Amino acid sequence: MKNNIIILGGGQAGIYAAREIRQNDSKSNIKILGEENSLPYERPPLSKDFLLDKKKAEDLYFHSNDVIKNENIEFENISINKVDFENKKLFAKNDNVYSYDSLLISTGSENKKLTLDNNLKNDIYYLRNLEEAKKIKEIVSNKNKITIIGGGFIGLEIASSLSQLQKKVIVIEIGNQLMGRIIPKQIADLVQNTHIEHGNEIILNKQIEKITKKNDDYEILLNDNSLIETDFIIAGIGSTPTVKLFENTNLKLDNGIVTNQFCETSIKDVYAAGDVSNFYHPFYERNMRLESYQHAQNHGICAGKNIAGVKTEYTSIPWMWSDQFNLNLQLTGICDEYDEIIERGNDINNGVIYFFLKNNKIRGACGVGIIGKVGRDIRITSKLTEKETIVDKQILSDQNLKLNKLVQK
Amino acid sequence: MSEENWIEVGSTDSIEEEDLIRFDHQDKTFCVYKLTDGFYATDGICTHEAVHLEDGLVMDDEIECPMHQGIFNIKSGEALSPPACEDLKTYPVKVDNDKIFIKID
Repeated sequence: MKNNIIILGGGQAGIYAAREIRQNDSKSNIKILGEENSLPYERPPLSKDFLLDKKKAEDLYFHSNDVIKNENIEFENISINKVDFENKKLFAKNDNVYSYDSLLISTGSENKKLTLDNNLKNDIYYLRNLEEAKKIKEIVSNKNKITIIGGGFIGLEIASSLSQLQKKVIVIEIGNQLMGRIIPKQIADLVQNTHIEHGNEIILNKQIEKITKKNDDYEILLNDNSLIETDFIIAGIGSTPTVKLFENTNLKLDNGIVTNQFCETSIKDVYAAGDVSNFYHPFYERNMRLESYQHAQNHGICAGKNIAGVKTEYTSIPWMWSDQFNLNLQLTGICDEYDEIIERGNDINNGVIYFFLKNNKIRGACGVGIIGKVGRDIRITSKLTEKETIVDKQILSDQNLKLNKLVQK
Repeated sequence: MSEENWIEVGSTDSIEEEDLIRFDHQDKTFCVYKLTDGFYATDGICTHEAVHLEDGLVMDDEIECPMHQGIFNIKSGEALSPPACEDLKTYPVKVDNDKIFIKID
């Protein structure tokens, strides 16, 4: 049967869903509606190789225009401002109307903004998309002392890149550690040391009281009355799922769009995938929302299968990475449900990993090391987690013993 | 096929099964693998970002990049899983008197 399939959101989840639908369904119309005037592209390099000029915008596309055309996937740059789920229609700002038989929502997430009492809205920069990255790259070339508000992944990756561009960088974090939302303190402290060794200043446990503009520069007043002078401010203080369009509809929302393990929402024929979806994970037996490259890709693929009628549960073990200076940090699974922690290695040059176990099985692990040093062990850990292997703790804790001995074939 | 292009990598017992070693020659880096049915060789640097595959995971005829989990088929070099989308170059391998040789073009 030939259907009209619309994918709302032209990011990673959207394009991977589209290609997966096409693999399973050669007839249906597939149309991606994207708010950005660009084919879907990789976001991770924006804060790293793009700022460092090692990658250009054209290096970031997931697939070329030819690939997308060959698979008969339509891509339209359009902004939707109303959804009628009952009559299966989307309305665009320019009065275009799009009818669908199946809809995938992959609108992603958007940056939280600082709430400032004075009119500094346009003076604070954020980084999520290519346009913002281009702007930051252009402006920082003339700036020297840069303040980053928020010590999460994005803030620290930018801090690492700007340090490599010989900028003086200050990171202000409200919590008592960096990357506190998901990274264990032991790992965060190792990353913090590396930033300090490279000359970045890290300020923890401090809140912004006030930002004042002084000619072309700024003064940031912290809650301990200390004052920071800076000539450029970037904020990375987290994100929220992009769901405004659905707020007054029947679509069930709770920290994003609530979906089951098949990417199905509360409305028939409407699916959601990627950052915007608060999905049920059968392995962890709970709902979760993830903002990561691997998740956007795999969740998009899973949604694509389900839309094409190939009923598929989403069971991917979460995995994410961050690259800062010469470090590669990786996290797999969930590191907040455990009754035992096991440490592997104690030198960042050879990699350090913390395993989080519950009932002798790994639930998650987080590691950091010089690039290349933790990836293999973290990948094996994902497999051990997925297979619920009862692990030999001696092997886990001894870096001289290979973890692949633990994997049952 | 000229003989001088076969470069000696090392002895066959220098690699464990389902594992690899890194081999540097002139200004290039290669990975040489021992799989259940023999030896194979590929470029040593991931096609996605410049990271050495020597620290990657070898499993079921596949090498997985340690940085971003791009996966390649070791025998064909085919990029199997994003973010890798460009294939990895492969090289012929032969074993002579318990020594491994790869043919670099």
